[in-house]
Amino acid sequence: MIRRLPPAVVNQIAAGEVVERPVSVVKELLENALDAGALRIRVEVDGGGAERIAVIDDGDGFLPEDLPLAFASHATSKLQTVADLDHIGSLGFRGEALASIGAISRALVRSRRRGAEAGWEVRCEGGVETAPQPCGAPEGTRLEVRDLFYNVPARRRFLKSAGAERARIQELVAELSLARLDVDVTLVADGRELLRLPAGDSLPARFARCFGVELQHGLLPVSRTFAGLTVAGFVAEPDLARRDGKLELMFVNGRRARESSALYAIRQAFREYLMGGRFPVYVLQVNLPADQVDANVHPRKAEVRFVEARRVAGCLHETVRAALQARGAAADAAAGGVVIDARLPRARSGFPDRSRDLFGPPPAAAPAPPPREAAVAGVRESRGPGEPGEAAVRPNPFQRVSGRFLQVLDLYLLLEGPDGLLVVDQHALHERVVYERLRRRHAGRPVQVQRLLVPAVVEVSPTELAWIEAASAELAEQGLLVEPFGPAAVAVQGVPAVLAKVDGKRLLRDLLATGNEDGGTAVQDRIAERFHAMACRAAVMSGDRLGEAEIEALLQEAATLEHPHNCPHGRPTVLTFGTAELERYFRRRC
Amino acid sequence: MKILCDRNALQEAVTVVSSVVPVKTTKPILQNLLVRADTEGITLFATDLEMAARVQLDAVKVSKKGSVLLPARETAALLRELSDPTVTLESSDQRCRIESGGGSFVLLGESPEEYPEESQNKSGKRIEIPAGRMLRMIQETIFAAAREETRYAINGVLLDCAGGCLRLVATDGRRLAISYENIDSKVEFKVVVPLRALNTMVRALPEDGKEALQLEVGDKQIVFKIGSTQLQSQLLETRFPDYEGVLPKSADTTVEVQKAVLESALRRAAILAPNDMRMVRFEAGDNQLRLTAESTARGRADVAVDAVIKGAGGGINFNPDYILEALRVCKLDDVRLDMSDDSMPAKFTLGESFTYVVMPISGA
Repeated sequence: MIRRLPPAVVNQIAAGEVVERPVSVVKELLENALDAGALRIRVEVDGGGAERIAVIDDGDGFLPEDLPLAFASHATSKLQTVADLDHIGSLGFRGEALASIGAISRALVRSRRRGAEAGWEVRCEGGVETAPQPCGAPEGTRLEVRDLFYNVPARRRFLKSAGAERARIQELVAELSLARLDVDVTLVADGRELLRLPAGDSLPARFARCFGVELQHGLLPVSRTFAGLTVAGFVAEPDLARRDGKLELMFVNGRRARESSALYAIRQAFREYLMGGRFPVYVLQVNLPADQVDANVHPRKAEVRFVEARRVAGCLHETVRAALQARGAAADAAAGGVVIDARLPRARSGFPDRSRDLFGPPPAAAPAPPPREAAVAGVRESRGPGEPGEAAVRPNPFQRVSGRFLQVLDLYLLLEGPDGLLVVDQHALHERVVYERLRRRHAGRPVQVQRLLVPAVVEVSPTELAWIEAASAELAEQGLLVEPFGPAAVAVQGVPAVLAKVDGKRLLRDLLATGNEDGGTAVQDRIAERFHAMACRAAVMSGDRLGEAEIEALLQEAATLEHPHNCPHGRPTVLTFGTAELERYFRRRC
Repeated sequence: MKILCDRNALQEAVTVVSSVVPVKTTKPILQNLLVRADTEGITLFATDLEMAARVQLDAVKVSKKGSVLLPARETAALLRELSDPTVTLESSDQRCRIESGGGSFVLLGESPEEYPEESQNKSGKRIEIPAGRMLRMIQETIFAAAREETRYAINGVLLDCAGGCLRLVATDGRRLAISYENIDSKVEFKVVVPLRALNTMVRALPEDGKEALQLEVGDKQIVFKIGSTQLQSQLLETRFPDYEGVLPKSADTTVEVQKAVLESALRRAAILAPNDMRMVRFEAGDNQLRLTAESTARGRADVAVDAVIKGAGGGINFNPDYILEALRVCKLDDVRLDMSDDSMPAKFTLGESFTYVVMPISGA
């Protein structure tokens, strides 16, 4: 017999989707506070959030007449019609959060409308709410959730240790705070203040407060305007890359969100600067008209979709690429070579890790992206690709070395720079030099196609076929000729002549496997890979003894490179031991 | 087992059989070769499970029948170094004692019973062809086959026998080589033979040999027999592309040029084709074939050679390596090139029965 489930059960089931663990509650409450226009938010958690979560804001507060509906499901003030879903400006919109939370905890709302005489409070326990009671309260809303999952023992068992849940909450609060630098955010756990983020911080400053001071050096600010789209924020120097993707932070119209093609595009832009298994660090705020984004694709709103996913991905790729390429472009004397030293991870330096605070100048001040509403208007005019960006934080160290050098261990070159000792890996540096030469040469000649006598027929899925059809013009521009071949296959008719030895079928399969939205970039990446391999073979090896003239020639060419800091595989080419570091090591200075 | 035999004959037989012994294998027993002695002589046999080679030797005195497994590499090396005209092999258990002038050696083998059985070839379709002719046909095609493992059917050479003609065809998708020979037989088959088997054949077949080579083609395997030697190989179970479809039917321009002149001119021009973009331009006109290549980093080559040009004339780009590889096995004095535009395959006539088709390089 089929029965309609009672609302309490429905809400408990729905709660399972929205509220997975304490951090989900914090996310919903924090977003509600931001939507209410709060400028000061305090988050308190006890016992990893399972015992108690409180979010206290100074926002608009509830209208007293709305309070009875606070815990009702699909009740919201943020949305009225289906049409509103197309241009969601608020973080929340489904009206599910409080209903879900109320269903699986003992919750309390105490709120005073801005300008109202008194506050009101409503309690809700396991989905059963009380009538609103008047009470004393400051302006704004206090939402308190106790005994999360007290009536869902299965969920409770899946909670991690209080420490682990607390760490997740801290990450989340930090992430969300980056989208709203105008809001003062505090996180207190078990009476201890974990985050104290004053309003008006610059983005790098807040990022550093949240994720560690060492990160504030080497953030390259970016700010670009495309038609109907702006990108602002920063990308971190490749040196700061991590072993996980936790600091790949994208915000779409102020909402922390993931989108697979954008993620891929950004990683591709970083690719030649990073070693395998490393993930970039960045905070990018993407703003575009609300009708270009679908935020309503994931119960916890963790993912979004773009109407023009490929274009957005392309803009992000270009923005990041330009920022990374610009970094060595113009060596600003004021920035000084020491900046490089400071950013080299301490673990790679040969000296004991002490006195880190003494290193490096204060962080390069990056313009803080304006808050959400102002973001679109606030960014500077876009620049064409290839022009140097504002982030000239990383000069080419080879432009300022003295003529003295020494080859040691048949692999390393020791050089004197204006700010200290440079240790160069000759193979890595030469590899970069050869790679750039190949790329320059390739860029300067027309694309040639090796046509195939016997087309390579590749069977493809419908989605793959759709991708190929959409990308076929771009692929052809890069020299890969693909034509439809029946309903579920394509025929490769020609491959880029520069990849002539590569099997056409495998080439196309590789491109499909990368999931890259942009066909032209995908082919170019594949060509770059071939250049990596050629450069690696052509470069002088470890063990090759170099003559003086050879070393001079290598350094001279390195001085002309745009990014000499890494080999094409992402390994560093040069380590710098700053004067100050050397002096401290020899106790000439304390 | 105990035998006395001619060292030279044994060494040659061991060399042929050893050619199928795998250098690396996860089954160490395959690095041996089997020697079996009976009243008629001895048989040497080796296999890597895909290919097998067998040689029979009659000029042997068998004083005790039996069989033994010998480590292939060491046996071959040892026979090369021995100086006496004869050699004695005597085995007991899994040891084999080799006596000859220059010393006495004991080789440790494994149990012959554990060595893979020689599979009996069921009677297949048979044809005969002079061994030297077959060698040429293999040489004229094998270079054009795909070397990569993934490339579908074309990782071998097609043997297409129909209408009294045996054709060998190889392609890597960018160029295609065909060589054929008329034979006196109505047999029909179409099989793809792995490159490795043909490479072994190239080493085993005598140049200009007039002896008959016998091909026995079954469902899954092919056997090549010449004299007392036979080589057996699994066939590739793949569909070979329709090669007749890609042969150009007509051409806008025909170029006739001396092979030696073209080859040396192309070698010179190709020096300046950069190694990341191998490309030489062929331009036909005014009874000249002009070859140009350019490397932005290294310079430019411009070579003109006399040629007989018929038709419209025009230019077309090729990967020079593809052409040079074919010219290397061409024995003709004058070669002919039929070409159209850069989207159409071009055809080289490199022998009376040797045709080579290459796809040009074009702008994107």
